[in-house]
Amino acid sequence: MDKDAILNGLENAIVNGKKAEAINFAKDALSAGIKPLDAIDAGLIKGMMIVGEKYAAHTIFLPQVLLAADSMYGALDILLPHIPREAAAKRIDMVIGVVEGDVHDIGKNIVKTMFTAAGFNVHDVGRDVPAEDFVEASKANNAQLVAMSTLMTPTMDSMKATVDALVEEGIRSQLKIIIGGAPTSQEFADEIGADMHAINAQEGVAKAKEAL
Amino acid sequence: MADEMNHIERAMAGLSNQPVDRLLTYPLAMGVCRRLINGTGITYQEWVSDPKKFAQAFIEGQRRFDFDFAIGLMDLSVMAGDLGAHVRMDEQNTPFVDDPLIKDIEGYEKLEVPNIKDPKTRSYVLVEGTGMFVEALGKEVVTAAFLEGPLLALTQTRGAEFVFKDMYDNDSSRKAVHAALKTITDYDKEMVKAFAEKKPAGLVWDYLWGSYSCLGDTEYEEFEGDYKYAGCLNELVQKEGMANCIHNCADLPHLDTQIKKWKPAIYSMAYYPLIPGSPSAKEVIQNGYADVSLVGGNIDPQGFVRWKPEKMEEVTKKLCNEVLTELKARGLGGRYCIASGCEVPPALSTKLENIQACVDATKKYGVWA
Ligand SMILES: [Zn+2]
Repeated sequence: MDKDAILNGLENAIVNGKKAEAINFAKDALSAGIKPLDAIDAGLIKGMMIVGEKYAAHTIFLPQVLLAADSMYGALDILLPHIPREAAAKRIDMVIGVVEGDVHDIGKNIVKTMFTAAGFNVHDVGRDVPAEDFVEASKANNAQLVAMSTLMTPTMDSMKATVDALVEEGIRSQLKIIIGGAPTSQEFADEIGADMHAINAQEGVAKAKEAL
Repeated sequence: MADEMNHIERAMAGLSNQPVDRLLTYPLAMGVCRRLINGTGITYQEWVSDPKKFAQAFIEGQRRFDFDFAIGLMDLSVMAGDLGAHVRMDEQNTPFVDDPLIKDIEGYEKLEVPNIKDPKTRSYVLVEGTGMFVEALGKEVVTAAFLEGPLLALTQTRGAEFVFKDMYDNDSSRKAVHAALKTITDYDKEMVKAFAEKKPAGLVWDYLWGSYSCLGDTEYEEFEGDYKYAGCLNELVQKEGMANCIHNCADLPHLDTQIKKWKPAIYSMAYYPLIPGSPSAKEVIQNGYADVSLVGGNIDPQGFVRWKPEKMEEVTKKLCNEVLTELKARGLGGRYCIASGCEVPPALSTKLENIQACVDATKKYGVWA
């Protein structure tokens, strides 16, 4: 198979949410001598961009997006270990998580997918995450961006606690903070000292790219 | 201006598209009213485990705020919890599932309808508690039970992300999702029948996945809209003598299915001004949805935490004006209830004055005139 056919196959496997196919095309890409970063750009990211556009236009919905994301992660698992160190270092590192007291993470996972597709190195600290864990992960990964979400009102305080902890540790000025989730707003972001608020994954990626 | 109709007269007028003295109002203040019990309030744990205390919140809420409705929402983890998922109970936070029950495809098929007559289940507490506030308030306001739709109860039991993936991952996962939905629909049927014995005027379904940010028409029809799920449940509610009502606080609700097709008596919805396509009160009325249902909405629930009462009055006044103008332009009666888009946050930081401000402002600015 020629390289274009492999990259097209990879893209289509993502768009159609076929994980097994995506994994096979990722392996084919490596054995055909395609650089892993090219496979990511011209296959995975291209596929996820199409998925993102279709989702924004309401022609596909969460089930299809989640299957596409799954396929992308499957292929990434094959490709990422083969990326040369210098090239990997150029990607922007970010930390993402749901703040302490909240376990709703479907929104966070979609945001994570879109950031991954946009070329970020996403370090997912999970859900119900205490402020210290955000700080630790930000330090450990030299993060330039911290993304936090919550779906519930009482846990909005945990967002402020996380911002405060980043300030106390003296790393606040080295990174941007973006928040999201149903009860949050730009007004709330301003109030707690975060940089940005986004209403959905696409907006989050766009705003973060602009700010960094 | 003093009210000319009593709560029930006004609600009945709104429900039957007749003129009202003023717009109806019901900020969805459920869990937050536990703070009115015993003067100092009780914890969530206490509130959701004792029917008497559950009912007491609605009774105290009515005494304090003078609402037009009483709707028995507890939280959205009642069914998942009774199916076997682990529910986390914080003192002052809405209980939620922190460990889903269904861990794999086989798990879907293993679901069993719980025994809702067992006093240890929260289904029992919910049904009995609803009966108690219906008994206490039923002659004063229109009362309704509140129940999770099958797809919502399933996503709470498995985790939404997994359910959405399993829907179309492969044939056996798709079949398994349907098997679980059938079991939960049976559970819902038992709940409907148990509620009916308590004689609330209506029953409100939470059908929140009917949202274009989650599912399209095809997906929603297959996994909830179908007659074997929501279709027959809607019918059963009416057969059991209750008005069928729907709450859906999603950003892009499936209004054509949930209002035009299902024709609920009441449709309670939210509004997200920042999200393109999220329907405002004006658009909802202009597009004919209030012709079919009494629509409730759409004040931002966060406002009850964050705004000063003056701002709440301002927002309520604006909504009243918008709604009155549009209802009149369309030649409708009192087909809109000034409400919050979703539950008023039950947090300690919610300002009770804002609930009062919303009700008072509706009495003042919602006058039909
Ligand atoms: Zn809601």
